Amino acid sequence: MLKKLLYIILILPISCIEPYKVELPQGEQLLTVDGFITTDSGPHIIRLTRSDTYGSVFQGLIRPVSQANVVIRDSEGNVTFLEEGIERGAYQTPPDFRARVGISYTLLITLLGGKSYTSLPERVAAVPEILELSYSAVGFNTEDRLLDRSGARIFAHFNDPSDQTNFYYWRVGARNYVLVANPELYRLPGTHPTNPRGEAPKACCAICYIQEPGRFQRFAIASDEGFNGLPQRLPVAFVEDDGLKFKQAYRAEILQMSISANAHRFLRLVEQQTSLTGSVFDSPPANIRGNMISLDDPNEIVLGFFMAAGVSKKEVYIKPGKLDIRQTPKTIPDDCLTVPGATLDPPAGWNPDN
Amino acid sequence: MKETLLYIFLILFLPGSLFAQQKNVIGRDIGQLKDIKISGRLIDQITGEPLVGATVTVKEVNKTEVTNTNGNFNLVLDRAEYILEIRYVGYETVTYPFVAVGEGRISLTMIQEDFTLDDVVIFGRDPEKNIRSTDMGAITVSMNTLKELPPFLGEVDIIRSLATLPGVSQVGEASSGLNVRGGGADQNLILFAGAPIYNPSHLFGLFTAFNPDVVNDFVLYKSIIPTKYGGRGSSILDITPKSGSLDKWGGDMMVGTVSGKLSLNGPVIKDKVSAKVGFRGSYINWLLGAMNNPDLRSSNANFNDINGILYGEINENHNVTYSFYRSYDDFALASDTTISWTNLSHTVRYQGKFSERLSADVIGYYSKYDFTIFNKSGINNFDLESGITDPGLRLNFTYALGPNNRVSFGGDTKSITIRPGELIPGQSGGESTILPKKVQDEFGRESGFYLQHELEFGEKIGVSYGIRYDMYQYFGPRTVKEYAPNLPLNPGNVIGERTYASGETIQTYDGWGPRASLRYSLDSKTSIKAGYNKMYQFIHLISNTATIAPTDVWKLSDQFFKPQIVDQYSLGIYKNLKGNIFETSIEVYYKDIQNVLEYKDGARLLLQQNLETEVVPGQGQAYGVELYVKKNLGRTTGWASYTYSRSLRRVITPFEEEIINDGEWYPANFDKPHDLTLIGNYKLASNASISATFSYSTGRPVSFPEAKFDFSRNSLAFFKERNTQRIPDFHRLDLSLNFKLKGTSKFHDGDWTFAIMNVYGRKNPFSVFFADQTGSPPQSYILAILGVPFPTLSYSLKF
Repeated sequence: MLKKLLYIILILPISCIEPYKVELPQGEQLLTVDGFITTDSGPHIIRLTRSDTYGSVFQGLIRPVSQANVVIRDSEGNVTFLEEGIERGAYQTPPDFRARVGISYTLLITLLGGKSYTSLPERVAAVPEILELSYSAVGFNTEDRLLDRSGARIFAHFNDPSDQTNFYYWRVGARNYVLVANPELYRLPGTHPTNPRGEAPKACCAICYIQEPGRFQRFAIASDEGFNGLPQRLPVAFVEDDGLKFKQAYRAEILQMSISANAHRFLRLVEQQTSLTGSVFDSPPANIRGNMISLDDPNEIVLGFFMAAGVSKKEVYIKPGKLDIRQTPKTIPDDCLTVPGATLDPPAGWNPDN
Repeated sequence: MKETLLYIFLILFLPGSLFAQQKNVIGRDIGQLKDIKISGRLIDQITGEPLVGATVTVKEVNKTEVTNTNGNFNLVLDRAEYILEIRYVGYETVTYPFVAVGEGRISLTMIQEDFTLDDVVIFGRDPEKNIRSTDMGAITVSMNTLKELPPFLGEVDIIRSLATLPGVSQVGEASSGLNVRGGGADQNLILFAGAPIYNPSHLFGLFTAFNPDVVNDFVLYKSIIPTKYGGRGSSILDITPKSGSLDKWGGDMMVGTVSGKLSLNGPVIKDKVSAKVGFRGSYINWLLGAMNNPDLRSSNANFNDINGILYGEINENHNVTYSFYRSYDDFALASDTTISWTNLSHTVRYQGKFSERLSADVIGYYSKYDFTIFNKSGINNFDLESGITDPGLRLNFTYALGPNNRVSFGGDTKSITIRPGELIPGQSGGESTILPKKVQDEFGRESGFYLQHELEFGEKIGVSYGIRYDMYQYFGPRTVKEYAPNLPLNPGNVIGERTYASGETIQTYDGWGPRASLRYSLDSKTSIKAGYNKMYQFIHLISNTATIAPTDVWKLSDQFFKPQIVDQYSLGIYKNLKGNIFETSIEVYYKDIQNVLEYKDGARLLLQQNLETEVVPGQGQAYGVELYVKKNLGRTTGWASYTYSRSLRRVITPFEEEIINDGEWYPANFDKPHDLTLIGNYKLASNASISATFSYSTGRPVSFPEAKFDFSRNSLAFFKERNTQRIPDFHRLDLSLNFKLKGTSKFHDGDWTFAIMNVYGRKNPFSVFFADQTGSPPQSYILAILGVPFPTLSYSLKF
């Protein structure tokens, strides 16, 4: 009873956040540039899309900009043509294209209608090597103890060079894991004419490999303003445990990139916006200015950023034994190959015991 | 009912004439005929506490005195018979007939009306003061008035009560700070016992950090500010603590839903020295620990404040008060980051009367504000410390040239040191992976001299005018960046730096601030007033949030940050109706603000060595009309205030990328054109009353996205212009019931207050924000701080 009373009189649960419909003006369809080139081998992809009304019925639907002429020019006068791939609006560099440290790159776009755009030059800076990737389990409490979330936080270890200002950008590359199934637990479907739900153990297959789809992408950024010249161990990625990923081994590739000060500022604003909570301490929304300009109309707004970065890649294998918080494992009582995307062959370079 | 009203009206306003009382003879008769000095002291009959700011009127010679902080007053009279009339808010008016024959002393007591009368008198120590004085936009609130308002989270609150008055508003439900006539929260100077307080809030503004039990009264100047005050653009809030009783020991206590308080006061040396101590603390932590919600269970919210007041009388004309104040907060919401802040002040005040004409008021203070963020997440632990120290001295002399003609003059000086931030790396497993960082300390000195003359030409015209000269110096040691000329102040445009030695002057500013107001009375119940006011402000609160937040930074004026200059013109009509039962007023104002700072998009303020690169100077203008009707007397009392106002900003710079909203005027974060407050208090019975507050205001401006775009598979909102849309309108009803239980024990003397905030559960949005959150499409959300009806219960006792 006392507890109930406390609930009623307590001060904090009285606030709430809920979706709210606002009337927004019809959004402009602004050209949006999203992509980066690195010192790694390609193909690197530049995506061209158009913006839309916020919260419109087309939300989630990307409006690709097709049939544009997309070119990268470097400060030595070399020109590289990008070709639109199978995915509409995604323009690829040739596979052998690599950005070089110390060279500046400019992205030039001419649309089908003849309008042309350019980026400001982006200079590629060297990036310190990732010395090591480590990980540890983290848990998040939720309202229901049985639904508490957890996952693995990945840390990048590197030595920040003291003789330069560095801006870091981390992304997660390919992610693969061992999909463990239990075909021996297979039961016939409930609609089976003679033996509904009858035990029908399958001989194969218990072990598959699967690649995680690259949907919603979180990223991490840092500037060495606060740690110039010091060895670092920074959290750069988080992989949420869904009960399947960490049954045997999970491999994540981490890209550590050096970006320009302007690109860092842009990403900081992106990060700021993606972490809004509406609280009294939120920063007000900022106009996220990119580095693209229209060559025809200086007042035309072009969204997005073209980045050129030095990159250091490393893979980490996350193993269940080293995670002290885990979700209850899920069971797939069937052949693992029935899961879309699962294969029996391990991905290239798979070597979890390394 | 009508007869009762008339009867009370007669008691209050025509005393003495109906009730013949026994005459008191004052003084030893030595045949003195003229200049008989009579001093008096006014105390609460029950508690023995001095009553401060009561008016003592000698009708026969049309002389009015106001009791000082010890309840003392002085009169100089000729030998004759007189009737003294003493009025004080929330107390029964007292008349005291006497014969002055020689120098002597009068001791007077008053009884609180509280629950003894069927009617309540609110506000205004003197019923016609609003009409007769030349003050404009000066609001005095005594704590007795405040207690009639519905409490917020179980307690009456100084800052929140002010927000019910015309021209004064707050950004939202959990925001500390006031916006006075379109000014920012940093444009208010909040003085507690004369010392400036930089963050007068608990729990980020849910509570005001002043314990109402130790406050005697407070005055807010929002329009014409007396020249003795300076340094802030919009308003002065001067809070006077209450000194203890010289007569006997007593106290107050209160137990509420989330906090409790206790204060004790009494004589240390009877009739010479008194002491008062007060403590208030929250027990939210204990409640949080009992919660099932893990975020709440792992949260921490703690606050307390302590007051101490020592008052000593040297003799009846000279006294000294020492006042101590400390407020403390720490707060961690389900995270490893704790935010903590402390206000501390010491004040010594001397008040003396050297002759009938000349009196002095000297205040010396030391004020300190500390703000710390502790990060104990295990990854790059750190402490981030910042603070302000502000010691100062004020001298004020008042010289009476005649009965309604007096001059005040004096000066003040203070030196401010701001520690904008120091990052101290913590120990994470022995090795430190972040660098310590310290933003350079800032040193400034503000001084002012002033003169003010108040006089009346007969009954009709009153004038008050004065001038204040403000001087400001900004000192080294400091290394200052130099930027390329004709380019924006960006880190990329630094061409060099200059180092100033300790004590070397880097920049000075000064200015004359004239202030004047004129009153013309059409009759004894109606007057018109007009005024002009100019203020300088040498300190800026740099913020990129709508309210006072942990990331805000105080910054002194330097060569990049010019002082804020505020010019205000105001005009008002005041009329009392039905024998002062109703007070009404209409005021209009126009304000011009120079050098207000607006943040650049994505400004970074914490640990920022060069703040000039993160903000742009802008212009501000504010204007409005304020309507006010108040019922002072009767079974039902209360007021209605309505304000129509605008507060606009404009940023035009030579550099295109810094211009905001194409150089057009746009609404400030706290621009809320319509603002209505209705407050009513109804006496149900001799031991119970009910009060209600309804407030409505236009939603504050926010920026809405112009479009949505995709980057790195995140859906992002594109914002082009600032503050083009508004969040939904705000409205809320609060009710409270004050009652005493029937019975005779001490316990039954206590007051119970049961209150419900947000009676109809309106989810007033504090903010509207746009987010692309996992599991739902990118959309807009609202955050309501107080989304449900919220009941509180408290019990308070005076002993």
